[in-house]
Amino acid sequence: MDRTGENLVTDRLQIPPPGIKVRSPWLRNILTFFVVFGPGLIVMEADNDAGAVSTYTQAGGQYGLHLLWLMLLLLPVCYFIQEMVVRLGIATGKGHAAMIYQRFGKWWGRFSLFDLLLVNFLTLVTEFAAISLATQQMGINPGYSVPIAAVLLVIHVTSGSYKRWERITCILCLLDITWFVMAFFSHPSTSSVLRHTLIPSVPPGGITTNFVFVVIAIIGTTIAPWQLFFQQSCVADKRLRFADLKWARLDTFLGACFTVTVAGAMIIVGNVSHQHGLTYEDPAKMANAILPFTNGFVRNAILLMFCNAAVLGTTAISLSSAWAWSETRGWKHSLNLSFKDAPGFYCIYAICTLLAASIVLIPGVPLQLIILGVQVLAGIILPSAIIFLQLLLNDHKLLGDRWVNRRWNNVVNWTIIIVLFALSLVLAVQVMAPSLFPTES
Amino acid sequence: MPIPMSQLIKTIESEPNYFLVIHPLDDIPEQKIDSDHLPPMEMTQGVRWSLISLRVYLIFMIALFLYHVIDLASQMLTKK
Repeated sequence: MDRTGENLVTDRLQIPPPGIKVRSPWLRNILTFFVVFGPGLIVMEADNDAGAVSTYTQAGGQYGLHLLWLMLLLLPVCYFIQEMVVRLGIATGKGHAAMIYQRFGKWWGRFSLFDLLLVNFLTLVTEFAAISLATQQMGINPGYSVPIAAVLLVIHVTSGSYKRWERITCILCLLDITWFVMAFFSHPSTSSVLRHTLIPSVPPGGITTNFVFVVIAIIGTTIAPWQLFFQQSCVADKRLRFADLKWARLDTFLGACFTVTVAGAMIIVGNVSHQHGLTYEDPAKMANAILPFTNGFVRNAILLMFCNAAVLGTTAISLSSAWAWSETRGWKHSLNLSFKDAPGFYCIYAICTLLAASIVLIPGVPLQLIILGVQVLAGIILPSAIIFLQLLLNDHKLLGDRWVNRRWNNVVNWTIIIVLFALSLVLAVQVMAPSLFPTES
Repeated sequence: MPIPMSQLIKTIESEPNYFLVIHPLDDIPEQKIDSDHLPPMEMTQGVRWSLISLRVYLIFMIALFLYHVIDLASQMLTKK
């Protein structure tokens, strides 16, 4: 927040806030953006988690570049939905679960919380599954790597400093730039990439059961229910101010652009196996399968970025569960508090993380199926989560005229909800009557 | 620690044209919209029934999803 000298008089009489003095309005804007920056990038990039890496590379592996246009279409969808939670978080200073409990009552609140915790927990299992698969390919025993990763993830959050957690997590997010380098080494045809990004196309086999499943999985992974809860709680925990809204919107928009382009890069990397007719079960095996057609850097980078995606996903998803649960229980819940001051909040985080890690170590669990299936489940639950958000953002008694959705917001959001519902219905028909959809030859 | 008013005014007068950029966590907490005293949202019968239908739909879809995943898992195990 910027203040002129005059405005400081009253504030400084209470607590003198530390800050940086600048004379240029440009510099002030840039610095203000950097202090606000974080939640938008983290929520978007953490969404490119292990399940997303798996889904996008599978999409590239099965359909080449044919689904790139979907990423462009999902960019505004990501932004519009997350912008609403930013607005709600800044206006109320409270998390999403707390708002649902307050405005809809406990009955609806519990349903909403149950949906969130169910999908979150299954997603966490997929994150540790990824760490297991990737480290196994690196020659490290998952029996060591998974528990070590889980413990490090708990330590990362329990430092008692929001700023430290945010800085480290932002650095992990920016490591995903490596996907652009991998996409470059995959030698894609620039004209093909542009054509498939800008012009929607269907693969030669037509709209099959598997194609619909992959499309729903992509949507389910690009916009996930935990994101709504995570970003609102994160904005509230960071105590973003009314004047920060425009910078928080920019943070969210840049985060959405980054995540969608990284996802596109993953599809391009997956396309290598499509071009050479390779089949694989997960990105870790893909890394080895495409080695003869790329180089050692791409192989190692895929494995490391697969782990990085899992780490990012775990910290954000476990936090969204911990924030949501603590908000509804009335427990203290802030990354700025020490473990001693907010034991319930940190215990929920630790339990989610450690339990998911232990499930992965059970031998014979069909990890790749769980990874793809969870994206579909998230796609099914998402429309209902957005409906609660949409009702909250139209609550004049709560938000007044300043913060409620404008007419165009509502038109865009209802369109998104209807499309998501339609896709989940298609999935239902597909499961009940698979013969209605052509199978792949 | 509070700064005496005389010292504060002196500081501001000596640097009248500057902006102070403060991290949100270092800033004085802002008064947010007070939602604690609001009763639950008033819902019309239409909205209430839509939400109930949505809940039934979700339970059905989750059951369907589980069936689909278990079916695929058993196919995978049979192949192995």
